[in-house]
Amino acid sequence: MIHFENVSKRFPGGHYGVSNITLNIESGALAFITGHSGAGKSTLLRLIALLERPTRGQLLIDGRNIGRLPEKEIPAHRRKIGLIFQDHRLLNDRSVFDNVALPLHVRGFPVREVGKRVRASLDKVGLLKKEKVLPITLSGGEQQRVGIARAIVSRPPILLADEPTGNLDSELSREIMDLFLAFNQLGITTLIASHDLDLIKKLDRPVINLQQGELT
Amino acid sequence: MRVTLSTRISAWLDQHRRSAYSSYMEMRRRPMANMMTLLVIGITLALPASLLSLLKISQTMTGDHQQSASISLFLKNGIVDEKALRVAADLELRPQINHVELLTSADAMEEFRSHSGFGDALDALDDNPLPNVLLIHLTPGNSSIDIRKLATELKEESVTDSIEYDQGWIERMQAITQAIRRAVQALGFGLGLAVMLIIGNTIRLEIMNRKEEIEVTRLVGGSDDFIRRPFLYIGLIYGLFGALIAWLLVSILLMLVSGPLGRLAELYDTSISLSAFSLHALLLLIPIGISFGLAGAWLAVSRHLSSINPE
Repeated sequence: MIHFENVSKRFPGGHYGVSNITLNIESGALAFITGHSGAGKSTLLRLIALLERPTRGQLLIDGRNIGRLPEKEIPAHRRKIGLIFQDHRLLNDRSVFDNVALPLHVRGFPVREVGKRVRASLDKVGLLKKEKVLPITLSGGEQQRVGIARAIVSRPPILLADEPTGNLDSELSREIMDLFLAFNQLGITTLIASHDLDLIKKLDRPVINLQQGELT
Repeated sequence: MRVTLSTRISAWLDQHRRSAYSSYMEMRRRPMANMMTLLVIGITLALPASLLSLLKISQTMTGDHQQSASISLFLKNGIVDEKALRVAADLELRPQINHVELLTSADAMEEFRSHSGFGDALDALDDNPLPNVLLIHLTPGNSSIDIRKLATELKEESVTDSIEYDQGWIERMQAITQAIRRAVQALGFGLGLAVMLIIGNTIRLEIMNRKEEIEVTRLVGGSDDFIRRPFLYIGLIYGLFGALIAWLLVSILLMLVSGPLGRLAELYDTSISLSAFSLHALLLLIPIGISFGLAGAWLAVSRHLSSINPE
């Protein structure tokens, strides 16, 4: 599904985000990416979502080398991916419903279908009753769950989460991780960058460890 | 989900309706600022539009007059009525001439007698001193050059004693109108550019305000078209409402001048309908407003949107 072949990302100025990464993630897998801050966890995820372009190597997704994907095809590529961020990146002037509906709107879903899917998605993260409120009125854990609902609403084949539990206590973190495990059960290939080693250990899944941009 | 053509079209319409509606709602959130912008656009568009309307009115009045333009041809003494009628029939063959009326010396005498009050004095004359006159009514749409050429030709006819036509002031009027029209067109073009820049700048600010939304939309796979659409709608809405305000201002102006203009029109023996000009202004302003609005929006969007990418 996701295949890195000697991939490096060198930033202007000479600093490497990741260097010489080779790894393969099977379709339907769930893996964690660990490492210190600045070890390249985010860069790895950002490369997959084409928020960065690799400067070297081949990055194949679904057998397609996306390193040289034309600018115009990036939106279509991102629609295959659900993205989750530590800071949620929700729009605070819009209701929970509208936030979750955005990925469906950009895909041109008809209005009725949007309503059904958004509610199904909010139901899965346990926020069905909050669809009308503004995200800013929710707790951190709830906001993160809105972010997750937004990422899965379009049922993408790939889910990428960058420090999804970074700001949450251990109980809430566990709840969030359980959500990811549940979605993974449905066959979504999932990559989670996290430095919550205790939690990761308990979950017993493959771990990709990065140090200064390299695999260890 | 099965995607048929009709669901795809309805989804496309949905998207546009949503973009238009959200743009409208976005604008309603800052009513004062937007009202000011709309007024500026309206006044800017109203200036050339009202000048063009006034031009059009003056043109209609002189144009009507030109339709009734005629040349009086005074025949030489001794040309008898039959001969005069033959000359008249010959003249009517010319394309510039609509029809020719013969005013015989007897007719002229009769008319003069009844209008002037010199009846008794005229009776004292031995014979009729008035010549036969051909009233030559021209076909409408002759240029002043055509008319002048025709006049010269008529003057050289052997039967002609002299001719008379009041063409001079029409020519001057037309020349002045022409000059003013050019000036108004140039002014209109400049002010149109100004409208485009006003709208472009407003939309640039709007883009900056919605930077976060654009970034998030890009993150979830929104295409450039999708991101561009609401801003183009904002441009369109500004252009449309600006044009409506401009039209309102033009209509008020036309109402203000309708009194004096009506009297002027009476003097020219024509009538003008101001509502027709008001409608004309509306039909002109709306497409112009919309296109300048869209152009301004496009300018802003193509310059600033590509610079906003998610962190």
